[in-house]
Amino acid sequence: MAITEKNKTDIIRRFIAVAVAAFLCWLFPLFHVVPLKMAVAEKTAGKFDATAFVEKFWIEKLLPAANTAVNAKGLLAAIQASPSNAKTNYSRSVGLSDSYFYFLHGEGKIVAVSDDTVSIVVTGNSTNVEITLQTGLIFGDAIRDGTGLLHASAYPNSQDFNDISAALNHEVETKVLPKLREQAKVGARISFAGCAEVNDESSDLHPLNLIPIETKSE
Amino acid sequence: MKIKLFNLLRTVAMAMALLMTIAFAHAGEPAAKQKIAIVISTLNNPWFVVLAETAKARATELGYDATIFDSQNDTAKEASHFENLIAGGYKAVIFNPTDADGSVANVLKAKAAGIPVFCIDREINSTNAATCQMLSDSYAGCVKLGQYFVKTVGKEGNYVELLGLVGDNNTWNRSKGFHSVVDRFPGLKMVAQQSADFDRAKGLEVMESMLQAHPDIKAVFCGNDAMAMGAYQALVSAGKDKQVKVFGFDGANDVVKLISEGKIAATGMQFPKVMARTAAEYADEYLKGRRDFPQKIPVKVDLVTPENVSNYGDYGKK
Repeated sequence: MAITEKNKTDIIRRFIAVAVAAFLCWLFPLFHVVPLKMAVAEKTAGKFDATAFVEKFWIEKLLPAANTAVNAKGLLAAIQASPSNAKTNYSRSVGLSDSYFYFLHGEGKIVAVSDDTVSIVVTGNSTNVEITLQTGLIFGDAIRDGTGLLHASAYPNSQDFNDISAALNHEVETKVLPKLREQAKVGARISFAGCAEVNDESSDLHPLNLIPIETKSE
Repeated sequence: MKIKLFNLLRTVAMAMALLMTIAFAHAGEPAAKQKIAIVISTLNNPWFVVLAETAKARATELGYDATIFDSQNDTAKEASHFENLIAGGYKAVIFNPTDADGSVANVLKAKAAGIPVFCIDREINSTNAATCQMLSDSYAGCVKLGQYFVKTVGKEGNYVELLGLVGDNNTWNRSKGFHSVVDRFPGLKMVAQQSADFDRAKGLEVMESMLQAHPDIKAVFCGNDAMAMGAYQALVSAGKDKQVKVFGFDGANDVVKLISEGKIAATGMQFPKVMARTAAEYADEYLKGRRDFPQKIPVKVDLVTPENVSNYGDYGKK
């Protein structure tokens, strides 16, 4: 079958159309094939890394600040004298809240050990447990909010600020508690630093329930 | 010529008389009140109605002309409200955003127009747009709820979760706070998780379909009380309200009442009246010259359970 002049023009037109379409696709590709690893990296780029932040914060800010935290013996005496004065002078609260935190350090004698607490007497002549160090699962924001080193206003997205709390608690569980469990022998002396949250003064002050950030055998 | 001059003088005299009449007529009136806008994500939820009405009442008490705008959870409507309030001469905005990212542009527009914005309850993902953000500490509140969940449901069993609006940070702060506790107990298995947009009707609908797929669940965690009410309704219809424990978040009156009747397990009490009143007072202080506002103010959330429910009601502590 002979190709007529009309068919020829038709074929040329179609060829040009396909070429133009191909050129446009090359210029403005409809999709990109990207390796999965690269796609994940792109997606998470610029995202806040709470774990990395906490590792640095722990060494550079938190542990050095423990030395300047309120002394446990002095704080316990102040609470004994007047819980409200102790609160005014030594505590920290966040936003609109009737709860508050103490950031303290000190040393004492271990008088009891259970699955999730180590009980300590700080004042020499005391017969009551004055401080318990938590050794079970760690929840809440006591470490993040108790020291005054971190502020919600610095974080555009509160989810990042909350991720810091989870990462700090994880750090306590994985780095501090295993060591504390080894040190926890009744009769042993121990130095400690940590944060306590007070929600209800009738139950949370006697003893102070501390999440430890550092402990040392004496 | 004389006639023209006479006509001109007469016209001027009449105009002056008219102006003096207007001036005298207004001389005894007080200056117009300054206007404050209260832009709320949705009024299709009693909790937000309380938030809006409390802010309006406090702003009115402080001497302002306050108007409530309902965004109906629609960022386009919210943007239109901001255009209108900027053009309408409002002096401050008390703002409950619809979307943590999507609402930032509206706040920046108001800021550019010299209008301070005070966010309440819901956050925007920016620290240089709003004058101040007063936000319930949803994460900490749901950590407490998670602990109570484990205590009452036990360390084993299947449960489901109803999420709020996926674009809202509260949704994820609540979910993450809850899971920071519950996920530590491997025996507790979340068999379904779905958004019901903080909406009661959707909560009912989603719960019905979850119950069909997972009839053996022991509990449902809901990101707000409206969804908890919807879920509870679905459980009553299915005859499973005794089998499945419902956990909500907000402290809505109907949920607090059901907690006192032992029908709902617990909720997180936010304090909408405290947030709304404080925001109105901050707007007033701003308009009187104060500028040193903290960017974010967390507001404590209380755990409300059958053990302490008698201390709570009317969207706060008694």
